[in-house]
Amino acid sequence: MLAIQISTAAIPQATLGQTSAEDGGTATGSAHPLPRRRKPGGQKDTQLIERLKAGDQAALEAIFNLYAKKLYSVAQRILGEAADTEEVIQDVFWTVYRKAKSFKGDAQFSTWLYRLTVNAALGRVRRSKKKKEVEYEEFLPKFQKDGHHLVRPVVDWSDTLDEKYARHEIHALLGRALDQLKPVDRSVVVLSDLEGLSDKETAAALGLTVPAVKTRLHRARLFLRGRLAVELGHSAS
Amino acid sequence: MTKVKSALALRKNDSCKKITDLICNYLAGRLSPAVKREFERHLQMCPDCVNFLNTYKKTVSLAGTLSAGELPAKVRANVLAFLRRKAHRMVALFFYLAIHSTA
Repeated sequence: MLAIQISTAAIPQATLGQTSAEDGGTATGSAHPLPRRRKPGGQKDTQLIERLKAGDQAALEAIFNLYAKKLYSVAQRILGEAADTEEVIQDVFWTVYRKAKSFKGDAQFSTWLYRLTVNAALGRVRRSKKKKEVEYEEFLPKFQKDGHHLVRPVVDWSDTLDEKYARHEIHALLGRALDQLKPVDRSVVVLSDLEGLSDKETAAALGLTVPAVKTRLHRARLFLRGRLAVELGHSAS
Repeated sequence: MTKVKSALALRKNDSCKKITDLICNYLAGRLSPAVKREFERHLQMCPDCVNFLNTYKKTVSLAGTLSAGELPAKVRANVLAFLRRKAHRMVALFFYLAIHSTA
């Protein structure tokens, strides 16, 4: 099987560490940040994947320079800790190199990379010891029988949050709340709200339907909102 | 027709629960004009839902500013070293198989 894979590849044209300027990065430079709402990677991704399919190892490093920071961030948020993140990233880029030929271009290249990363991260989460799961219900809004809010008045703490906590403290609070989400829900929030992927892209990356993404995203956001409200001494409702 | 029905349903049951269920689609601009009108009509009458909406929006906007930070230099170096090593082995295997298949 391995022989077949290799025999169909062209002889590598360059080696890792010989990245040129047109590759979009240098061997020692930092990863190129993707804009929050990304436009399709387009021509650059297409060129890189074609070079990679031809066995060009420099293209792999160029792809690494373009996406490693983003994918590391995604993996770290899903895993909740740094320990396994390096291995996940390592596995993802090695898979990209080995499986480049299987990328048909049906989805965006970046979506494929996100999918590989999320799958690798979720696989590790499933194999690791299970964290004690937090019940969502406690932090979701509750309503009276007639459909009105159970606890009234609902407090608007959107401005007081910034007054009460420094930005890094808010990030820590939210980060802890994010860690308490179920892994797939966490992945939905990471891809949608942190990475700015569309529902369709998030669905493609996670192998979910678009309606499932919308439902999970809304519920996860309600949970996060409830956690922040409780932290501030208010009711989650 | 479905959109009209949804708007009518919202008017009949314009409870805070219904409004809360629609927040995600409202913020994404996915509500039909009729449902959106009813949604906003409810907000005009219900300060609780306005406050809830504000805190929901705040949560989403804060999540958007979360970042795991930079790719650590050590991780970068380790992963690149791993990839070079593995890629070179694959190339060596390629030549080995090429030579032996023609021999």
